[in-house]
Amino acid sequence: MIYFTSKGWAGEGIAGNGLGRLFRLLIPGSFILIITTLLAYGRTVMKKVLLRIVALLAILWLCACGAIYAAMRQPPEAFAHVMARIPGPVAFLAFPFETLWMRARAGDLKQGDLAPDFTLTRVDKSSSIQLSALTAKQRPVVLIFGSYT
Amino acid sequence: MYITEAHPSDVWQMQSNIRDSVVFASPHTEEERALIAGACVSKLGIKPAAVLDQFGNATEKAYTAWPDRLYLIDATGRVAYKSRPGPFGFNAGELGDALKQVVAH
Repeated sequence: MIYFTSKGWAGEGIAGNGLGRLFRLLIPGSFILIITTLLAYGRTVMKKVLLRIVALLAILWLCACGAIYAAMRQPPEAFAHVMARIPGPVAFLAFPFETLWMRARAGDLKQGDLAPDFTLTRVDKSSSIQLSALTAKQRPVVLIFGSYT
Repeated sequence: MYITEAHPSDVWQMQSNIRDSVVFASPHTEEERALIAGACVSKLGIKPAAVLDQFGNATEKAYTAWPDRLYLIDATGRVAYKSRPGPFGFNAGELGDALKQVVAH
């Protein structure tokens, strides 16, 4: 299912607000209404021009979606540089950002796969922690990945 | 597990971070990353063991974890639960349900 989201990224405040809902309903609704009216009542020449414009816009939109998806597949630093150049909430409101994100960042690990082992130093540098040493104690382990920003 | 910053101020600054006074540039050394991670653990009062991913982000890549993600590894060392990519898929409730199932078995 492809869907747009008005949810913000990292709490930017677009989540569920009036602007997001307006974009999701009014913009595509108006666009569809204008197109169908002109197709129904417009002259043949106008219809042809309109269809070409719509086709061009659709192609440009698809290309932009592809570019955003490709950026999402890049390392975090590269993706962040791309997003920093897209103004405001455009990426979230004009494109199916969440859908693309869920697919681009799905990852190869699946439920049932052996978890990649690691040995990492604690933030307080008091010791190291190895995943396999924890699971060897026959207890489940929760991994929470994140950062401060 | 502390991984690459999601919104460093020199790359992709977010207004919400400015409002919350969480403004950090991209760390360029292990020590810088450790300092930011330490501030995070301290300010947020994180109690569980916090570890720091290596500077090459090897663990983050293995788990496709950026910017945030949840995993549950069962007692056999296998992935019992993998959240959808964060932030949209970061769901503590789902993790809780998965943990209950694993513990029950």
